[in-house]
Amino acid sequence: MESSAKEDAQPKPRLIVRLGRLLASHHILFSALCCSAGIIALLFLPALAKNTYLSENALIPGSANPLFSTEDVAEANKFIKGIEAAAGESRDGMGMPKFIVQQMKELGAEVCYHEFLPHSKHFHPLKFFTSMTNDLAIHPNGTYTNSGTNTIGIIRAPRGDGKEAIVLVTPYNSQRVKENELLSLALGFSVFSLLSRAEWLSKDIVWLSADSQFGEYTAVSAWLSQYHNPTFVAGVTNGPDGIAEKAETTDFKRAGTMAAALIFKVGETRNYGDRDSVTMYAEASNGQMPNLDLLNVVHYLAVHRQGFRVNIERISSLVTSAWLRVIAEVIQTVGSLLRKINPDWKLDIAAPDYVEGTANLASSIYNQALGVPTGSHGAFRDYQVDAVSLEFSPTFHLRNENAKSSFLVRGGRLIEGVVRSVNNLLEKFHQSFFLYLLTAPSKFISVGVYMIPFALLVVPLPIVAAALADGGKTEGKSMNDHNMKGSADILQVDGGAWKWLQSARVLLVIQIWAVIVSLLPYYISQIADGTPIQSAVIWVVLSIIVLIILYAMLGSPYSAGVEWKLLKATMITSISIGLGLMSIINFATAQLGSLIVIPMCLFSRPVKARLGMNFLPRTVLLASNIFLAIFGFPPVILLVMKGLSKGTWTVDIGDFWVSMEFLWEWSSATYLYIFLVHLPCWLLCIHVLVHPCRQAGSKVKWE
Amino acid sequence: MAAAAVGFRLVLVLFGGDLHLSSRPEVSTPLTSLRRLAEGYWLKQASMSPYSGSMYHGSPLLLSVLGPLTSKRSGGHHAHIYCSLVFVAVDFIAAMLIRLTGRTLQIARGKSLKSLDLAKSVNDPVNASAGDTASLIYLWNPWTIITCVGSCTSPIENLMVVVMIYGACSRLAPLAAFGYVMATHLSLYPAILILPVTLLLGYGPDTPPAKVFLQKGSSASKVDISDIGKSTSQRGFGQISWKPVLHFMLWVFIWSCYVLVLNSIILNKAGGLQEMFEKTYGFILTVKDLSPNIGVLWYFFAEVFDFFRSFFLIVFNMNIIFMVLPLAIRLRHRPCFLAFVYTAIVGMLKSYPSAGDSALYLGLLGLFANELAEMQFTFFLFFGYIGVSLLSPVMHNLWIWRGTGNANFYFATGLAYTCLQTVLVVETVSSMIKHDRKLRLLIRT
Repeated sequence: MESSAKEDAQPKPRLIVRLGRLLASHHILFSALCCSAGIIALLFLPALAKNTYLSENALIPGSANPLFSTEDVAEANKFIKGIEAAAGESRDGMGMPKFIVQQMKELGAEVCYHEFLPHSKHFHPLKFFTSMTNDLAIHPNGTYTNSGTNTIGIIRAPRGDGKEAIVLVTPYNSQRVKENELLSLALGFSVFSLLSRAEWLSKDIVWLSADSQFGEYTAVSAWLSQYHNPTFVAGVTNGPDGIAEKAETTDFKRAGTMAAALIFKVGETRNYGDRDSVTMYAEASNGQMPNLDLLNVVHYLAVHRQGFRVNIERISSLVTSAWLRVIAEVIQTVGSLLRKINPDWKLDIAAPDYVEGTANLASSIYNQALGVPTGSHGAFRDYQVDAVSLEFSPTFHLRNENAKSSFLVRGGRLIEGVVRSVNNLLEKFHQSFFLYLLTAPSKFISVGVYMIPFALLVVPLPIVAAALADGGKTEGKSMNDHNMKGSADILQVDGGAWKWLQSARVLLVIQIWAVIVSLLPYYISQIADGTPIQSAVIWVVLSIIVLIILYAMLGSPYSAGVEWKLLKATMITSISIGLGLMSIINFATAQLGSLIVIPMCLFSRPVKARLGMNFLPRTVLLASNIFLAIFGFPPVILLVMKGLSKGTWTVDIGDFWVSMEFLWEWSSATYLYIFLVHLPCWLLCIHVLVHPCRQAGSKVKWE
Repeated sequence: MAAAAVGFRLVLVLFGGDLHLSSRPEVSTPLTSLRRLAEGYWLKQASMSPYSGSMYHGSPLLLSVLGPLTSKRSGGHHAHIYCSLVFVAVDFIAAMLIRLTGRTLQIARGKSLKSLDLAKSVNDPVNASAGDTASLIYLWNPWTIITCVGSCTSPIENLMVVVMIYGACSRLAPLAAFGYVMATHLSLYPAILILPVTLLLGYGPDTPPAKVFLQKGSSASKVDISDIGKSTSQRGFGQISWKPVLHFMLWVFIWSCYVLVLNSIILNKAGGLQEMFEKTYGFILTVKDLSPNIGVLWYFFAEVFDFFRSFFLIVFNMNIIFMVLPLAIRLRHRPCFLAFVYTAIVGMLKSYPSAGDSALYLGLLGLFANELAEMQFTFFLFFGYIGVSLLSPVMHNLWIWRGTGNANFYFATGLAYTCLQTVLVVETVSSMIKHDRKLRLLIRT
């Protein structure tokens, strides 16, 4: 009678609730379908790449005839000779900056020096999250001799209002200059001298010759942070002794907001292809990319006007791998089949193209996922300036004068063309994509397409979580129904709806642990100046101790009697929140992470659970569980990645420390992902795996 | 636990100097920002109207209370360390008042259940008392903590609402009136709480609906006419005790006169009450500041055409008022719960919502832990709140700092947040009604 009354009391659920229930009841089938669809879609990504196109009409690249001529080349050659002499004369490395400044002054540009200190290793994993204005520029004081010196020249635009600027950057090492760096400096100087005469400029030109003795990124980011964070120093600053004490060169000079930045350098390695090539580097910190239009302009001018070959980075081991070739063949046949069914589906892609695209795409995803910029353009992106690095790799020997001058003409024209295009812009770059992956220099996958595999992978998570949470609840209810028969009481549900609070507490404890573990390196790196192995061991030991202490303080996960289904539901919900967040911060990390985490989560089941299935599927499930649990552990992933890329399978704990140090130094969000999303999820998986499964059984017994 | 929460806040206040919470749109709104208050104080010290320059929009009383504290600076610390210490104390007082309110409610609940002879069959699912739960939720809610640490004045506004509810629950008309007047003065929206407060003073704290008592009375009369059933059925409903209500009204009048006089004294030389009303209530009602916050109105009014603006202003402001009466009729037997529902609705629909508003109603939610034990979608709501509160700063970062997102990204989290709150309100109300229905069924059997 009570149950009938209860049914009367409960209205029919709404359609959306019923739909959810339907999905939840078939969650295993649904998640298997979605996950496999996601992986297939991921494999199809190179076939889905579109050709790039110029989205912003104002750019009109290549519409004007380039003015860069052999005269400028002669100037460049003169510059090379002069700077070589200057570098030979001076002993303290100040000869080259002085020479560059003098040359720029002769062109009528405003010049200044910028001194900076090398970055010390800082633990700031959250830096990407806070605004950039927070960290003030470190001012070198005169006593510290080992500082780098950037030289900056600014051309005021004859037609502009000084509100905007285009930045050209040529990195060089002032301590030990090489021939290729001289060539890139000469290229920069010749373009600068051309632009100083240009009538059409409407944006200021800033030429930064960055002193890369501490790495080019350090130099550029130090300059940028001073550019954007004005410091008001009381009193007169004394320049170091080497520099002429003129106020005009020691004052920090600024132009307007940066519209775009172009970093170019001539590579050391000689390229043995048929044409000089340009490699574009675009990945900034945390998977941010410059606007695609900037890459398009560079690619268009380089390929169609100046006859360069344009490359992007690739993982070359993939090009030769056999299994990728097999996949490529399969994709090709499937694609052509689909094409026959519907000619509008342009999914067919030739196998070599697919392999090539995958190698590029893999490198693109990897670089974005790592969250570490691939060059000094990353520093610009931190200030929302679109920047790209171009590395020229010439086919000739650098002593070959004829080839060199022809290269200078083409390189100069390329840079001039890009500057001209950017100069045309009236607004910031906004028209084209910011979120994309490159499969070739002229092919891209936009966010709308590459989201699909990720979305397919993530969709099962909430549904499985809902199914598990619901399952746990109904189990509780049925148990309470048994109670009710005895006591005839409807209200005797002991907080059935709030049962998950216990598992949420476990999650909370583990998250607190994860936060502590992720912060530990800050203290370890400050206290101990030991080897990486020592630090890593301290880290591991401390984190285990912290875990034990937390369990002692807040109760171990099994003492409260948490059902494993609810625990798993909690874990899956937390991981879907974590992955969702990460996909917004850095999509590539989330994509790679989801490939590991999602199977691990979905498969996890207690070893002791009575499943009521045959021996074979059970062992398969168990084996896959253990396999995934082992391979979900971050150091193991690192080891596997290393083994795959380098072929060395030696276990070195110090390596883990070193790579983590690398990540937090660059304030990569991947570090946070690994420790705040992946690691807790892994630990929860282990908890689910070794769950005793006592509670349900024993309760039934009691009754 | 409470001491630990206070200690945690103190640690954050003293050592968390670089959290920059005060500049987060989720924490401080144009109304509650302490930075603006400092500016207003400075203007007032310069014998100008604190409202000139459209920076400050709070109460003049706050200026004279907190203003002197903002100007004192201790090097190397949190910018507004003294104010933050005040807020820590304020939070603690609010939590204690919630605890006392919970105790009153618990006693009332026990009484009414006993009178219905259900005390045995309806045992509390939550072991600790509801008041303790609620105060701990209030103290340990991360949003309360960031509101407290993040230099904004919402802890004080929340305290006033809590004071009002506590005063009404324990039938202290002057205290309730003080809380009501201050809360209304500080943030206007608590004005609608006059209904629950009146009901609380008139009928007493939450009870099961009158029908239940009637049924009980009738079923009792069938078996044998017991005095208890009759007396409770007569006590519980039907007659409103007008004395405390009138008392309350009188005190409201007195307090509001007092507050207005104080304000006019403070604003004597600079501006007047006219300007104060324009710059505080007018600012709230006409949504002048369109800087992003976690609500939905800023986006809407940034997009809407100017000639529709006044129409939609009326619509959005009426939206809150429309819900007042139906809810009051349906939930009149549970005035405390009604107050919770009102605060939740206000927190959702007010023009400049912040995390502090949610902190308040989530704290009050704990008071009804026993009644809401069978609420649906709690899992979803819990993780939804976590997800949204993590998503919002990320989207803000994407839009403002990285430039790869746009306003729609941030607004989407605002929408999701509003949806979550809607689900919360709907579910709590429906599970409360279900609870009452269950009590009725129990009586019938």
